[in-house]
Amino acid sequence: MSDDDIYIVGAGRTVFGRYDGEDNELAEQAVRSALADCGLSWKDVEFAVGGTNGETKPDNLVARLGLTGLPFVTVKNGCATGGVALMTARNGLLAERTDIACVVGYDNHARGAFNASPARYGIGDWYGATGMMVTTSYFALKIQRYLHEHGLGERTLGYAAEKAFEYAAAHPYAWRRKPVTVDEAMDADMINEPLTRFMFCSPDAGAVSLVLARGARAFDLCERPVRLASVALRGRRPGSFEVFSPWLSPGERTSPSIDAAAAAFASAGVSPSDVQVAQLQDTEAGAEIIHLAETGLVPHGAQEEAYRNGDLKVDGRLPINTDGGLLANGEPVGASGLRQVHEVVRQLQGRADGMQVPGDPRIGFTHVYGAPGISACTVLVSEGA
Amino acid sequence: MVTHVVDETLFASTDPVTLRGSACADCGAHVFPAMASCPVCAGVDVTAVALPTEGTVWSWTTQHFAPKPPFRTDEFQPFSIGYIDLGPVIVEGWLVGRTTWQIGEPVRLVLAKAWTDAGIDVHTFGFESMAGGETP
Ligand SMILES: [Zn+2]
Repeated sequence: MSDDDIYIVGAGRTVFGRYDGEDNELAEQAVRSALADCGLSWKDVEFAVGGTNGETKPDNLVARLGLTGLPFVTVKNGCATGGVALMTARNGLLAERTDIACVVGYDNHARGAFNASPARYGIGDWYGATGMMVTTSYFALKIQRYLHEHGLGERTLGYAAEKAFEYAAAHPYAWRRKPVTVDEAMDADMINEPLTRFMFCSPDAGAVSLVLARGARAFDLCERPVRLASVALRGRRPGSFEVFSPWLSPGERTSPSIDAAAAAFASAGVSPSDVQVAQLQDTEAGAEIIHLAETGLVPHGAQEEAYRNGDLKVDGRLPINTDGGLLANGEPVGASGLRQVHEVVRQLQGRADGMQVPGDPRIGFTHVYGAPGISACTVLVSEGA
Repeated sequence: MVTHVVDETLFASTDPVTLRGSACADCGAHVFPAMASCPVCAGVDVTAVALPTEGTVWSWTTQHFAPKPPFRTDEFQPFSIGYIDLGPVIVEGWLVGRTTWQIGEPVRLVLAKAWTDAGIDVHTFGFESMAGGETP
């Protein structure tokens, strides 16, 4: 342990789903829960970072939590908001040589698929008017090509959905908790070939908060602090396949997820084969399949067999999205990346809210990915009691 | 007769129909629609070019629910969209004529009616199968 090591000492989240109250009220619940988890109060926090994709101002949370005068940074980076918030908090602790930071991410989205405007993405109105500004079709086009290139069957998608809802059925904070069989997932209403209704997540509401501590202080606050061994953020390069792209480059495919994962593993000195529990961006079932390979956890083309063998379930070789992932938790954009870290922290501390991965896992990994082609990954390490 | 289209800047010509992209003098990258700079190499020496009109289906899906506005249509019917490999660039567009496709099948550029505006047909670009009983 060094003074530059950053640990997660407290973790709190709300139940995800529909929420009628104010966004800031939701965020406050998560912060109070994370602080209570490590026995701190808001007065102890020296640096805070808040992220949301909505209209509220995270830094105004101080009105509810206490006007202590602390620096509060707001981040807004789409699906990568949680990862960026966490990275900002880590950097803040290291740069300011302070000890305690609090991170919070939250959102409360309206029902239905996100409705994006072409102008916000620098695309002409024709793109939306002709029905191409649709996130579900992007995901379908991407996984359709991926399955073809790597010789994977469409049933791989059904396995991914079945696994998500099996984990979620046991998780008290997940939103959609009804188990779904592979056949039910395959036979459900087709949204965009090859993706059915059970293979997509929906926007919803939720908040997650983490308390970070630097160096020895972490061990005063928490019996099993989890070290944030690395956090890496990357953007797209030519050859990536992103949402709302009227054209793609031919030739080799790149991905910000490949780059962010490689950077996170290198920085932590950990190999993908060391990972014992992981969370991957599964905006839909196809995304999980692609990201298993892009992060280096499962080789391209080997995913179908990994699902079929149960490798990715709780007693398998590499449990993935043990809280049900986005498929079962939905996607409150600002909270989603921190939800992943929350779940892995709990797993590494041996106190999972849902199914606990057996065998005292020590090394975890998280991955978020989103528009307009950004990814953030973390490596989390439990050094034991 | 004038052909009305969803956006004139997408087309190098509407008769015969060709798409207007741009090519980078520095790295050779082609993009669509035409841009004033090159996102691949960050170069600024780019010129507008007419893109190839024949290619193969690189990926496809069918839209089974009506997208929200700003999507426009006279009457919603499920429709296919795909990425078409034109050689120097892969372009996203409608796949017209059916709702099930195969990756790799040959297609060619056509004009397709998008909606009617005050009695006038407004067209976008699409791709149709080069097999499937079409007149050669
Ligand atoms: Zn260039």
